[in-house]
Amino acid sequence: MGKYSEDPLWADIEPLPTDEGGPNPLAAIAYSEEYEETMSYMRAVMAANEYSDRVLELTEDLIDMNPAHYTVWLYRAKTLFHLDKDLREELEWLNETALEHQKNYQIWHHRNLIVDRLDDCEGETEFVEQMFVKDAKNYHVWSYRQWLVKRFGLWETEELEFTERMLREDVRNNSAWNHRWYIVNGREAEGVKGEWDEGLRKRELDFAKNAVGKTPQNQSPWNYLRAIVRTAGVPLASLKEFAEQYASLDRPDSVRSSFALDLLADIFAEEEGGKDKAGKALDLLAAKYDPIRKNYWAYRKSQLGLESSTPEAVVAA
Amino acid sequence: MAILSENGASEEPRLDKARHIKYWTRCLKTLLPHQYTSNDSNRLYLAFFIISALDLLGVLESVPSKEEREDHINWIYHCQHPDGGFRMWPGTDFGVRASKDNAMWDPANIPATYFALASLLLLKDDFSRVRRRGCLEWLPRMQRGDGSFGETCVNGVVEGGMDPRFGYCATGIRFILRGTMSGPLEIEGRSVGDIDVDSFVKCVQLAEAYDGGIADLGFHEPHAGYTFCSLGALAFIDRLEVGDHAHSKRSVATAPTNPSAVISWLAYRQTELTDPDAGIDSEFTAPDDTTDNDPSQKPGVGKIAKIQQKAVTPAHQTAEHSVGISIFDLLVDGAGMSGRTNKVADTCYGFWVGASLHLMKQPTLYDHAAMRRYMLGKTQHPVLGGFGKFPGDVPDLLHGYLGLAALGLSGCEGVKVLEGGMCLSREARERLPLLWKRWDVHDEE
Repeated sequence: MGKYSEDPLWADIEPLPTDEGGPNPLAAIAYSEEYEETMSYMRAVMAANEYSDRVLELTEDLIDMNPAHYTVWLYRAKTLFHLDKDLREELEWLNETALEHQKNYQIWHHRNLIVDRLDDCEGETEFVEQMFVKDAKNYHVWSYRQWLVKRFGLWETEELEFTERMLREDVRNNSAWNHRWYIVNGREAEGVKGEWDEGLRKRELDFAKNAVGKTPQNQSPWNYLRAIVRTAGVPLASLKEFAEQYASLDRPDSVRSSFALDLLADIFAEEEGGKDKAGKALDLLAAKYDPIRKNYWAYRKSQLGLESSTPEAVVAA
Repeated sequence: MAILSENGASEEPRLDKARHIKYWTRCLKTLLPHQYTSNDSNRLYLAFFIISALDLLGVLESVPSKEEREDHINWIYHCQHPDGGFRMWPGTDFGVRASKDNAMWDPANIPATYFALASLLLLKDDFSRVRRRGCLEWLPRMQRGDGSFGETCVNGVVEGGMDPRFGYCATGIRFILRGTMSGPLEIEGRSVGDIDVDSFVKCVQLAEAYDGGIADLGFHEPHAGYTFCSLGALAFIDRLEVGDHAHSKRSVATAPTNPSAVISWLAYRQTELTDPDAGIDSEFTAPDDTTDNDPSQKPGVGKIAKIQQKAVTPAHQTAEHSVGISIFDLLVDGAGMSGRTNKVADTCYGFWVGASLHLMKQPTLYDHAAMRRYMLGKTQHPVLGGFGKFPGDVPDLLHGYLGLAALGLSGCEGVKVLEGGMCLSREARERLPLLWKRWDVHDEE
């Protein structure tokens, strides 16, 4: 006896249980009776291609228990469009569902479909920020945010401020750094240049340098700096003076950032006769500042044609 | 540096093989707990984890009987779609009520198909019941104009995200069923078309991020899972560029466009950050000079001082994550892999990152010993067997399997050698040429 079998509204439906085909099925789950019943009604309805209000409720129940059901989401979308439902109400239901199932991606795919059809993103960026309160690095949510920006042309509005807000919360949030990169450089297809614009470049360099100043041992702004100069075609050496504030071969005991040392190794390697200095920086990383990657630092040396040295030898020298 | 015994000698944490076998036997022979209901539509990949874990542990032919293995094979075939390809589970098959009108709601599924074929390979099935022609005819229809693959095709529309998980599984299906033979293929008297390999390569190129990693789409944040799927897919279609001289002269499109940037990004994934609840804002401090800098001390002594330091400053843990935390957590030094920049280690990335470095032909660029210590000392469950996602977590199928797979890459006693690109034992991978021979296709390499 269950919710559907006892409900006169569903009396006309003959449930269709799943057939496992034989003994010893793989990855069989101890389903609740509720799930088994909901699934058998869902299957019966889909087999009959019924698109009705009661089906919407059924899909809600099922999705709540199994949000990864790939065809039920599509079936729900088709039912919504068939009945010409108010899609704003659908978004409200989705808000609750998304907050409950943080890691599910079908929810975001469905939201995409609904908002695209609504042709209006009112309230969406606010909802996204609400999701970030729970997990500021949720991959699906960041992907959705990018889609919103592109679909509704939000480039010029408050996206930069938004990334600044997110980075004030956590300057190590690499997702927020990545989003900033997208906002600055993602419009190439529309003919808007990113880091090639000098004013823009200065603004972004200052922003990243400021973040390094607060957290020298934070890889995100270092990666961002490197990407700016590479994309703009500016020599890597333009970052030398800045990097030397955080790491110097003259003061090997007071390196403040392993990422600065890594960058300096690359800068030295490009200098005439700088390979030995690059090797020293890499040795220092292997021996002292980033020993977990000692094999990687040795590989970097070998890429420069330098012999690798054992950490013990470096320290003794 | 592992656990200190009473006499001060150190001892590496070990694989508790008996407990892992017990865990996977339970997964195979009893119902999975109801918490897996939300993964009901992923059952074929859960099935693959169970079968492949038992294979990696060397007990696939002793834990289930011959009859049971036959039943398992039959269940996989029960999930096969009448037109080729597989469903994730029998839940979309309408059985006696199936008709032309409702066929659209019962599509074959790309990941299900890869995991079904891989599981059949592990179970030493002869593939005679695989609808090979139908499957290979369906495959190109699952590719979109931009080169990406979807999950299912419903009513002529390719559905599902555009991410490389589907590209990985699609190219994996192609690899199992036709090796690396490209172009039209004659099967059962019909010419079967191929996927558009070049446009898929382009898709991966567009997803290479500004910091060297690979994302699902252009401008998305790079992610170790997507990086593995992209590299693995390129390997399946023989278009992977690893940056050595042998490949650089090739005239066909390859990816990634900057192999050394990818390698560097991957090397940076190894991290000593293990606590998902702790802020990672503690400022960088150079290691204590008196321990790490004195060459007269024996290797490892510095590490001991570090362990003691850790013991007096317990990591931040919420109550939830403190439950069942292993005592090893405070004693064992180790470094697992993170999936993205500035995130903490997680068991599954040991596989995604490790296998990616193997694919890039740089398997020694990470610290295998530190990685084993992280997994065996911190995320291996001391009572239930299996691996959790983070230290102290209860085990689950995904992390339990990918943990073993990562160890299979690192050379761990008791785990078979892993073929990183296919995420199954090398022993099973080596059975593929026998199938290819029968189908008269071959690996072009």
